[in-house]
Amino acid sequence: MRAYFKFEFIQFMFNKKNIAVYVILLFFACFYALKIAPAYDPIEKVDREEIEARFLTREDFLNNVVLDENTYPLTRFAAAIYPEWNEYDKQRLDALAAGDMKKYAEATFNWYVYSDNMIFRNGKDILYYNSRYYTAGNLYATEDGHYAYMYSASRFDGYAKGDSNLSINVFEERTALQTLQRLLHSYLPLILLISCILFAADIVLKDKKNPSLIKGFPISVWRSLLVKGGVALTGSILTVIPLAVGFVIIAIRNGIGDLNLPVPVFSYKTKAFTTISMGEYLFQNALLILFWFFMLISLLLLVSIIVKNEFANLVAGCVVVFAEYYYYVRGLGYVKDIHWYPSSYVQVGQIIAGYREYLNNSVALTLKNGLLVMAVCTVICLLLTFIISNHRRYKLL
Amino acid sequence: MWKLLKNDLIIERSNKKNIIAILVVALFVFGLFSYEKLENSQKLIDEKGSESQSLSAALTKFQPPDAMDDGTGNELYYNLLQQKQYVVNQSMALKIDRPQLYLDTGLKLVEVRASAFELEDYEKVATNLPTKTENHLDAILYQFMDKAGIVVSQDSLSFFPFLLSVFMMLGSFWFIFISIFSSGILIEEFRHISLIKGYPVSFDKYVLAKSTSAMLIVLIFIAEIFACSLPFIYFYGVGDANYPVAIFDGSYKVITILEYIGIALIYMIFIAIFTILLSVILNVLLKNMYLTLFVQLLLFIAPSLFPALVSLVPFNPFNYMNFTNLLNGQSLDLAKPVGLELVHGLIYIGISIILMLAAVKLFFTTGKLKKV
Repeated sequence: MRAYFKFEFIQFMFNKKNIAVYVILLFFACFYALKIAPAYDPIEKVDREEIEARFLTREDFLNNVVLDENTYPLTRFAAAIYPEWNEYDKQRLDALAAGDMKKYAEATFNWYVYSDNMIFRNGKDILYYNSRYYTAGNLYATEDGHYAYMYSASRFDGYAKGDSNLSINVFEERTALQTLQRLLHSYLPLILLISCILFAADIVLKDKKNPSLIKGFPISVWRSLLVKGGVALTGSILTVIPLAVGFVIIAIRNGIGDLNLPVPVFSYKTKAFTTISMGEYLFQNALLILFWFFMLISLLLLVSIIVKNEFANLVAGCVVVFAEYYYYVRGLGYVKDIHWYPSSYVQVGQIIAGYREYLNNSVALTLKNGLLVMAVCTVICLLLTFIISNHRRYKLL
Repeated sequence: MWKLLKNDLIIERSNKKNIIAILVVALFVFGLFSYEKLENSQKLIDEKGSESQSLSAALTKFQPPDAMDDGTGNELYYNLLQQKQYVVNQSMALKIDRPQLYLDTGLKLVEVRASAFELEDYEKVATNLPTKTENHLDAILYQFMDKAGIVVSQDSLSFFPFLLSVFMMLGSFWFIFISIFSSGILIEEFRHISLIKGYPVSFDKYVLAKSTSAMLIVLIFIAEIFACSLPFIYFYGVGDANYPVAIFDGSYKVITILEYIGIALIYMIFIAIFTILLSVILNVLLKNMYLTLFVQLLLFIAPSLFPALVSLVPFNPFNYMNFTNLLNGQSLDLAKPVGLELVHGLIYIGISIILMLAAVKLFFTTGKLKKV
């Protein structure tokens, strides 16, 4: 079996298509690191001028406001909530001026908690989150702002309590590890899964070209399929290498970050954030992506031996990966058991960060359920493959 | 030639790939339908709600002195206030079902909005507001509806409105779908070269017959889209085929749903021919289905990765492959705005098709196949 693995692996590595996938990934990694990452403009950034403008305006208001029985209720409201708010802004400004990152993190944590409390609970339609959440056409701007403020609060709390090296780059999530975290939260999982589909699509059917040669191997169909799956899995994991180039470029420019940096994780059950360490977050992501690879490869092996058509492989893989776009509507998880569909777990980073739970109003879109669903699907696919490939009359080629 | 085509079609009939592709198209139509159904039926009201929220957020960017009433106030601030008032009016008009009021306030809204673009510091609030192009499209739509006396409709499930959303969606995916479908068009042939050599025709004729049969299957897909949408007539009725849609085709214009579908069909057929021929050429050059696919997709996304390319090379046919964005006037919102015109797109794609045909004719004549 080992010899067969080697044989398949060498074929895999010299396959034009696979080389092309690695080259394209390398291109995208460099493109991202050189062009897109430097242009990243976070909404929750460390902006001295913004804080100062807000602070001075409110300070001015507080110094001049006259409260008596004729005062308008909203003015009264403002005069009641601004003093504490301004206190936090002042602490932030002082910390920035002194260059004390720890103090800044602490003041910012308090600021976010207080702001979110005021805006979401007390100030609906009077107070607003950062105006960049209210982009034209966004129906859920308030919810987005609420999530982002809670997330930031939890993040800065972690910075204040942890003992990592703090800097502006860390606060704005620009370091290499944090960039990776942000990417896992957006489209990196999709890219990895599609690469996996492309690797596995022809791994069985390429043998059609030389059937007489392959038939001579002293290995059963089932075992050869397992080896092929293993090769595709190895190849999929190796995608890390071209992507790492981009990681190194960002690390050189913005610093690598720290595996102990906090990553906020939302839980729908408690409606609150807790933090886990960056290392743990990345490990959980890797685990779920690995299970995705298992699932996709076993699915494509099954489709390969049933339909025996590469186009069908591509379609089957893409349907699983993109099916979520068809049924995804915000808040759907509350009425429908979407946590049983494997395609609900495509956004791996968002699943682990709990963002999917927040979007879908569902308590069940967790890492544990994700692993369970993937494992069950993998076992079903492999079992069917086993039964079919061991059938007396079945011929692979 | 005719016999060859017939021969090809008989081979294609048993090709699993075509059956799967037909299933995919059906899946796409029914899936889109279930999606449209899940989406809120009060979409317009929600949109107006979010618009007014965005405006309020934009207003928070101003300082109190901007709102002073003694003439020193900021013009943009007043403009945004006015906009907000009209948006709220519109949302109200929808809720109490007064379509004419909706149109009237809409007309005022787009006018105020149009003047806002010229004001100082507009970039400060640009992300909170629709773009200039979107506003212009809204404007001519409202004007047209007001003149023709058409009532605003929120119906998206009956036959024609649904077809409109199908074709708008297809605009973005059609090239990708056809390139996946056709990427292996000649690969199978390269595996049985001895068979091909036995045909009593030259290679270019053979390629043409192959492309024609692929094109016929694409026409079957298009027919299938209509056929799959037919059952919805039974549940939701036919809908208004003459409901207006605002587009940009070089100038701003209002057309009916039927015309939109017509434009989409012409574009889809041109794109399909273009893609199939490109697949043929890339197949011969690269001899690998996936490499063909990758090259095509990279060419397709190049204009979005490097937006500067669009104004630099306006005759690049790949600028025109996403016809939904083309008709939305998206190229006008680029850093360097270019007005990509609908007819020019057809001409450029047409010229590319002719060039590719000439290339097939010149380079793929008999004898060259030996190199493959």
